[in-house]
Amino acid sequence: MLYKKIILRSLLSLACILFMGLGASAQDEAAIKEGKTLFKGQCATCHAKDMKTKSTGPALGGVEERWADYPKEDLYAWIRGSQQMVQAGHPKATELWDEWKPTVMTNFPNLSDAQIDNILAYINCQNLGNCPGATPPPDATGVGVAAGTSAGSSNLLYILLFGLLALLALVLARIIANLNHMQKVQRGEATGGRQSLIDILTSKSVISFVIFALVILGGYTTVNNAIDLGRQQGYAPEQPIKFSHKTHAGDQKIDCQYCHDGARRSKHAVIPATNTCINCHAVVKNGSKFGTAEITKIYAASGFDPEKGVYIKDYDSKTPEEVAAIYKDWIKSTLSEDEKYKNKKAEDIAEVADEQWKGIVASLADSDGKVQGPVEWNRIHNLPDHVYFNHAQHVTVGKIECQTCHGKVEEMEVLKQYSPLSMGWCINCHRETKVQFGDNEYYEAFEQYHKEIKEGKRDKVTVEDIGGLECQKCHY
Amino acid sequence: MKHQNKDLWIGVEDKTNSPEFVKSVEQEFQDISKVENLGNENVMNTQTSRRDFLKYLGFGLGAATVAASCEIPVKKAMPYVVKPDAIVPGVATYYASTFVNGGDFCPILVKTREGRPIKIEGNPSSNITKGGTSARAQAVVLSLYDTHRFQYPTIDGEKAEWAAIDKAVKSKLNTGSTIRIVTNTVLSPTTKAVFAEFQAKYPNTKVVSYDPVSSAAMLIANERCFGQKVIPNYRFDKADLIVSFNADFLGTWISPVEYATQYAEKRKIKDAAHPKMSRHIQVESHMSMTGSNADNRILVKPSEQGAAILALYNALAGGGASSVNAKAADALKKVARQLQANRGKSLVISASNDINEQILVNKINELLGNYGSTIDFGKASLQRQGDEREVQALLKEMRGGRVDALIVFGANPAFDLPNAGDFKAAMDKVKTKISFAGVPDETTALCGIKAPNHHLLESWGDAEAKRGQLSLIQPTIAPLFSTRQAELSLLTWADSPNLDKTVDRPYFDYLKKCWKEKVFANQSSFASFQAFWDSTLHDGVLEMPVSDGGAIAFAGDAGGASGKIAKPSGSGLEISFYETLNIGAGQYADNPWLQEMPDPVMRTVWGNYLTVPVEWDGNRSYKTLNGLKSDMDETDLADVTVKGSTNRLPIVPQFGQMKETVALGLGYGREESGFAGQGVGKNVYPWMTMNKDGLTQYFNANVQVSGKVGVDKEFACVQYHHSMGLTSGDDKKTYVDEIEVMPLAKGFQGGLTERSIIYQSNVNEIGELTEKIGKKRKFAQELNSYTLYPGHDYKYNSGHHWGMYVDLTACTGCAACTVACMAENNVPVVGKKEVHRHHEMTWLRIDRYFYGDIENPNTVYQPMMCQHCDNAPCENVCPVNATNHSSEGLNQMAYNRCVGTRYCANNCPYKVRRFNWYDFTTADLFYNEQLVNGEATPFGADNLTRMVLNPDVTVRSRGVIEKCSFCTQRIQEGKLTAKKEGRKLRDADVKTACQTACPTGAIVFGDMNNHSGELAEHLNSPLNYIALEEVNVASSVTYSAKINNKDESLA
Repeated sequence: MLYKKIILRSLLSLACILFMGLGASAQDEAAIKEGKTLFKGQCATCHAKDMKTKSTGPALGGVEERWADYPKEDLYAWIRGSQQMVQAGHPKATELWDEWKPTVMTNFPNLSDAQIDNILAYINCQNLGNCPGATPPPDATGVGVAAGTSAGSSNLLYILLFGLLALLALVLARIIANLNHMQKVQRGEATGGRQSLIDILTSKSVISFVIFALVILGGYTTVNNAIDLGRQQGYAPEQPIKFSHKTHAGDQKIDCQYCHDGARRSKHAVIPATNTCINCHAVVKNGSKFGTAEITKIYAASGFDPEKGVYIKDYDSKTPEEVAAIYKDWIKSTLSEDEKYKNKKAEDIAEVADEQWKGIVASLADSDGKVQGPVEWNRIHNLPDHVYFNHAQHVTVGKIECQTCHGKVEEMEVLKQYSPLSMGWCINCHRETKVQFGDNEYYEAFEQYHKEIKEGKRDKVTVEDIGGLECQKCHY
Repeated sequence: MKHQNKDLWIGVEDKTNSPEFVKSVEQEFQDISKVENLGNENVMNTQTSRRDFLKYLGFGLGAATVAASCEIPVKKAMPYVVKPDAIVPGVATYYASTFVNGGDFCPILVKTREGRPIKIEGNPSSNITKGGTSARAQAVVLSLYDTHRFQYPTIDGEKAEWAAIDKAVKSKLNTGSTIRIVTNTVLSPTTKAVFAEFQAKYPNTKVVSYDPVSSAAMLIANERCFGQKVIPNYRFDKADLIVSFNADFLGTWISPVEYATQYAEKRKIKDAAHPKMSRHIQVESHMSMTGSNADNRILVKPSEQGAAILALYNALAGGGASSVNAKAADALKKVARQLQANRGKSLVISASNDINEQILVNKINELLGNYGSTIDFGKASLQRQGDEREVQALLKEMRGGRVDALIVFGANPAFDLPNAGDFKAAMDKVKTKISFAGVPDETTALCGIKAPNHHLLESWGDAEAKRGQLSLIQPTIAPLFSTRQAELSLLTWADSPNLDKTVDRPYFDYLKKCWKEKVFANQSSFASFQAFWDSTLHDGVLEMPVSDGGAIAFAGDAGGASGKIAKPSGSGLEISFYETLNIGAGQYADNPWLQEMPDPVMRTVWGNYLTVPVEWDGNRSYKTLNGLKSDMDETDLADVTVKGSTNRLPIVPQFGQMKETVALGLGYGREESGFAGQGVGKNVYPWMTMNKDGLTQYFNANVQVSGKVGVDKEFACVQYHHSMGLTSGDDKKTYVDEIEVMPLAKGFQGGLTERSIIYQSNVNEIGELTEKIGKKRKFAQELNSYTLYPGHDYKYNSGHHWGMYVDLTACTGCAACTVACMAENNVPVVGKKEVHRHHEMTWLRIDRYFYGDIENPNTVYQPMMCQHCDNAPCENVCPVNATNHSSEGLNQMAYNRCVGTRYCANNCPYKVRRFNWYDFTTADLFYNEQLVNGEATPFGADNLTRMVLNPDVTVRSRGVIEKCSFCTQRIQEGKLTAKKEGRKLRDADVKTACQTACPTGAIVFGDMNNHSGELAEHLNSPLNYIALEEVNVASSVTYSAKINNKDESLA
């Protein structure tokens, strides 16, 4: 009884503490969350999200400290209309203008003080790296793993049970055999010694049973493995660029179809052209994980000059040495600005740059040693031969989430094939998936189904119902 | 003649009930021992021992294991570096352009995928062709990927840089040089401006223009009669009576796509209760494609053409007698009366290349008041401008050593002149010879400097096919090789001040400049040039206002001309030479699609065949010239001697060929050409003559044809391939499965004695025809209503039910659809030998049937493709369910499921299924090299030719059956477009390749469940029938009966 009370009490108090803590941080969290939304909508076009790097506008980390000498209203005023402050001759404003002109900061007259405060709170926490929600909470994957384990343990249980029962059967069989034998001996029917285990195991019937079982088992295994030939579920090859879907789609929440812009209008989802990467990486020049080592690859492939923000003229005709010189310089200059390398000697930085460049050439160069030109990605999703698949049909018309077939790409550091891409897998989905029947005028051609739905005879129309299992829907 | 015949027949074997024919219609696949000797006569008698069998089995198993156990290869995916805005990978982009080759012209839309052209469509914005195409235009995309194209410029066979070419040419030319540019008709105003600039720099330059199949006499006659050296604008859609003297205006003459469009408009039966159609009378000796479409054919020998025209003229103008044969004279008198009855609504044309004959034709039209109604000069055609007298004059100059430089600009005079041999010899006397040809030809072979031009689909350009009707040519792919636009070469050599060489695309710049000055300045719709240019380039065509030509005064000397008409040469054998639809005057010989396209009338491929007349003796036997005969797989060879030179040629007995005449296609026998043309057929140009005006005559009245001197064992004629088993002969005996069924259950399904394959009638008897069709259909439907499986009929009344309508009256047999189908569906080319072995792969064939007069018959063309039967006999015999039915009524074919038993093909009543006997596409892992025409690599095995493949259609490999899919990839694409836009499907979303290619609108495809669609409009005519409806396969293709307007009194 005593134990119980103690446990109950401690649990209660723990819950209270937890709840209070949650309540307190929930307020901040809401503010920061709003700040984050506002930042992404209004500021992120010009200010880097990590608050540490300069972009079109200055790095915002520590902005409050920098304006600490002035009343907070000045900072509000600056954000709402910077040029008026410059014209009015505010000292901080003039200082900033001198540094950044001719770039004019956009005016945000609609932002309230509270909203600006929220943005500042977000900037602050982002700068310090302690924003709530930065570490993702345990989610479905965890549950999945747990479920997997439990399934595994029940399998083990079955195996144990099977073993036990088999043993029991063997023992019982032995006992029965012994009893039979004894009975025979009593009746005096037994000729010679009783059959040994070896005699039984080498008897014709057992051998033929074993051969039969082996043939069945072998056949089953062969067919099963043969079906899997050419399938590569879970295939996750190393790519020439260590592109992280987790960083882009997960952390930065870039929409899948921003890069894979074919998915909504073409059969191919399309691996984005290098110039699509440059759209963002004209600004984001130093990666969060690999620094310049990976991002320089897209510059080198497409001939983008990150320093000047333009494509290099006649890039394709440059020699490997010229190309190396351009981008090594760039890596060196970026590194020397980096905190980590600030105190390093120039030779050391050059060495790191050489090392990085070697890696870049190794991943990009074609057989002639040329880095210019398209990046040769390893294709992960390979459909079987003779099958036609159209992304637009599934994404635009069927409104299927990308994750349904590709898995949680936003959590994949290295992309892997999530689905088996087998015909059975396609067919099963076509059997179950409902067609967007009511919202699309095209389906009015299926008068019969509309009638049935109206009469209440039918509650859904699946892909199968409109012919989605027929050969020539995918094979032609 | 002997007797009028309402039955249909397809050739002499059919008509005589030859045992081979009877046997052949019973089986889908030819007897292997006859057709296939596997290279060795003894092969069929050898025996395979058990040991050998086990050895092969073991090896095969081992090889398959090795091949299958390989690791999955790593595949690469390469995105663009900088993606062009217009391209979405996986989505086709269309560009308006123009197909031009000499005078051949067709505004087109080029379908490109990821930057490579893969298919040609007609441009519906054109007022000339209205979206129609020809087989030649459809095939142009394949010539882009010809492996024999010149890949770089050369000087004396040595590879050279373009700068070196420029230097060499400039060093050889000076302002005093006598330069001759030899061309075929040039339609481009800008190219002509380029010539003018070249002439400004080198004043002694002359452009010599001629056409291998010449209309020079017409041009000259029009100049003499009306002062305009052009081809007038013909309006076949306004003519109630068309009389054509040997002019193949639906196939090859001047502007066939335009004429076919107009012609069909006037002949389609829109209302069966009140039928109206024009009458077409063809005067010729050899059955041309146009002649086969005519209501009446009046047979005159080639040398009698002039006399025939004179006879008609005399009948109209009241002159004396003419020396044309009596039968024709009588018929022409009646024709004259009909023409008079159709004053202002008739049209008389002639393909004659004799000035006086053309003057008479003009006078006839003038007498009939046709100028201003069916003929005008306002939008006169510019599609023939050549005059071969100029090239003959050039030949004289060259012989005399008076030419310093010869520039060959898209012409081939060392091949296509009657005296090409002389031209070749005279070329030795010219110091500098430059050719712009992109592929090898006979003239270019003799040129020291080869400065290859871009292919049409890589070029900028323009064309003015008719006055005021402009169209643009734009590139749809970056040049594949180091070639250069010929115009740019000329401008460079001329140091043109108007050429800005610093820009990226100098000729494009030049073209735009020309358009700004000459076209933009004369229009008022656009204020800014850029807007004007963008709009025109987008549309591809532009119509500028022209005067209607006004009243035209006839100033010709018809009386004088009638006195100068040549007398016929009497009773000897005569030969005529005609341009074929597929390879033209020889310039298309290098295109495998065109080589394998069957001639509409003869149905032969890969070569020219001597057509010999068939004489019927009333019974089941016939006589041919010198006893020359052909059976289904072999044909006799005959020695043909003209002008002292002899060629050994295979023959085809041809119904409709006039007695004492033979005919031969021209343009074959190329010695130097692109991929497929070399050594195919025999060259007949040296057999042609010139008349006293120096104009080429396409016949010879002095020909000897020997008897049988050999046998062509590889006779490639598809006439008897895939025959549907006809009811033939007068006793209505049948030769197909009905024989088995008949005694068992008379009147049971399949037991009908007359198969409904073709229905035809005269327009005056249309009532009887509709009654007959109605009766037979009712009977068939009554039979079909009995079913073994009641309650199991599927009605296809929800969603789509795809169907097709084919108007046999509109179909002219031009075969644009067959080539379009090959291009769209990756249908392989198999070569002559394989066609001979019945292995042609075409999904869409055009069956040709004869009816009527046995020696001068009428013709029906029936496009035959998979009928997508809703009760398909092929489906239920497939052991692996590789062919089955979709809920949209499509007969589906899953190639990767097919194991090649061919039961389906055997069970198909329409014989439309094709089996891949070999790895024709070289797509197989263990491929078997299939050579098409004696070349080093099999056709289509190289990556260049593969660029023409449609990426949305599977490339089939050996051992599977394939057939028409109703362009299922287009259906799926059209449905997706509608779904994406969230709207109902429209007719325009889904059109099959054959439908869009057709110049006459004979094919309509659509959803039979869409009751307001275009297809539904056509499905209610009482002329409609379903082929073989009585066998209860519930086909989805509806045919509309062939109606003719034959005048029996002329026969």
